Amino acid sequence: MLVAGIDIGSATGKAVIMTDDEIVGSAIVQSQGHPVKTADSVVDKAMAEAGLSSVGEIENVVTTGYGRLKIEFASDNLSEIACHGKGAHWLEPSLRTVIDIGGQDCKVISISEAGKVVEFAMNDRCAAGTGRFFESIARALCCGLEGISSIENQGDSPAKITHQCTVFAESEVVTLVNEGEELGNIIAGINLSVAKRVSGMARRVGLVDNVALTGGCSKNQGLAAALAKVLRTDIQMLSGDPQLAGAIGAAVFAGEKLLARAS
Amino acid sequence: MGTALEDSEIYQKFARITDSLLSPEIEDFKDSGGKVVGFFCSTVPEELFTAAGMLPFRMRGTGSTSTELADTCFTPINCTFPRHCFNQALEYEFEFLDALIVINSCDHIRRIYDNWIDQLDEPEMIHVMSLPRKTGDRQVDWYREEIAELKGKLEEHFGIEITDDAISDAIKLHNDVRRLQRELYELRKVDRPPITGAEVLRVMVAGTALPKADYREMLQELIGTVRGLEGNGDHKARVLVTGSQLDDPEFIELIEGQGALVVTDATCFGTRLMWRRIDEDEPDPIRAMAQYYVHDRPSCPRMHGDQPRRLDFLKELVEEFKVDGVIGERMNFCDIWQVEHFMTGGDLKEEGISFTQVDREYILAGKGQLQTRVQAFVETMKGTD
Repeated sequence: MLVAGIDIGSATGKAVIMTDDEIVGSAIVQSQGHPVKTADSVVDKAMAEAGLSSVGEIENVVTTGYGRLKIEFASDNLSEIACHGKGAHWLEPSLRTVIDIGGQDCKVISISEAGKVVEFAMNDRCAAGTGRFFESIARALCCGLEGISSIENQGDSPAKITHQCTVFAESEVVTLVNEGEELGNIIAGINLSVAKRVSGMARRVGLVDNVALTGGCSKNQGLAAALAKVLRTDIQMLSGDPQLAGAIGAAVFAGEKLLARAS
Repeated sequence: MGTALEDSEIYQKFARITDSLLSPEIEDFKDSGGKVVGFFCSTVPEELFTAAGMLPFRMRGTGSTSTELADTCFTPINCTFPRHCFNQALEYEFEFLDALIVINSCDHIRRIYDNWIDQLDEPEMIHVMSLPRKTGDRQVDWYREEIAELKGKLEEHFGIEITDDAISDAIKLHNDVRRLQRELYELRKVDRPPITGAEVLRVMVAGTALPKADYREMLQELIGTVRGLEGNGDHKARVLVTGSQLDDPEFIELIEGQGALVVTDATCFGTRLMWRRIDEDEPDPIRAMAQYYVHDRPSCPRMHGDQPRRLDFLKELVEEFKVDGVIGERMNFCDIWQVEHFMTGGDLKEEGISFTQVDREYILAGKGQLQTRVQAFVETMKGTD
């Protein structure tokens, strides 16, 4: 049973190909201006890894993410919320809360033992506290995303960042830089401010252990550390790539749907 | 989720009126000497304007695409409804109004009055009403005085007399419209409703921009058409939308596009306008209006201490319309609805009724995120199959 999940997000496209509940190919590419282009390119890459030559060999495809409605070779589309819940659960069945922080959204998803979404909270339009936010701050600090993420770069006394708005926070950071604040403290302050924003959503949903971080921002170790502190809980490290969680979830759904159709 | 209704001439007429501010119908009414009274909020006693032979026009910001002009005198954390609406005023889109009635339904709306008298010369008659915050008998007495004052102002300004008989007749006419609107809602109780939520909203909004007698005739024809239609069954869940100034059918279309058919509502262009009736047997018709607007009609969260009654109303609708889940609509920065949804959402979940809150701006924006939210809500209710 060969299935695929495609997650066309705002910043990157992800694809996962599975055979009988095992990942045989996966890929992540930058978004290419059009969901179909992004999907074609990421699927090609994942197929190459899986040793496939034609999309036709894949028996069922489910899409998710912002571009989910535009991919014609998919049989179904599901929300990122359902797919991240499912994918994170597939990676680590003991999870009950998934914090997904992507390019322009962040979500706190509460899942059942079976990996089904019980409750969720999601930011509104504003991209504060998401990948876009980190990108603009990294630009202002000239330290790159790696600079913000690296655990060694987290200062001991996080600078106070009062604004949630990306634009305002960036100018606040510029002020701090020019006041001579240490880079490490600014970086720690930025990660702490995002962690606090997420903690509000977690409160709305009701945080239940175990907790994991998915989405592109799961690669930010400084953020994971700040979240653990603010939420007073451990953030589980997933065995696979947490940025792929949405695509994995979509692939698992594709498999389930194929089985349901067959029976 | 297109339906057969979309192509019918009568529905097209409603849609045309809802999708604009000044319609040919209003122009005709004015050409024959009629006066148009604009008013904010569903708590203004529009029967009074009908009794005076005028056209009650409920204020909206339809057609607005930006708030640059209004933002010179509002703040960025004011609700986007008054900002878009006032922006339209500054673009001279409301020149057809002969009078404007503002009410303190919330502080954001109240600011329209301040800004309007400061920055615009027309209409000549701008009146502000004071709506009580509670729903008891003393508040009804207070609102009766407010309505009587408004009546006096209209009589004086336009040199007319509004008799009790005329008011009683207007109440009967408006009640009859309410009866017909409920009849239309009744048709949505079946498993395969012949009309979508977005279509119903177009029919409801048009009713706030037409002479009521003309609207009644159109509504009768529409109900006849809807009765003859086959229902649509391609939805995954039946939802109720509760919230505020929701006059944008495209917002409902977005929800319905995710498989959530809106089968009923508790909003200011929906059941809050018409689910109850004004008492026609009360000898003082002005008091009858006060009693209706302060207490009898489905309550709005701006009324203090009335949340249990609002919750009961929602539960009544959920049961009658076989609703799977409730979507709480809220415009950004609205404190009134934020607290209401927080309380009521929790209460509904305790009763086993699914609830989610969807924040929006007055004009549809951020579609992608809204779609994700609604789709995920449908998935949590109905699964991912």
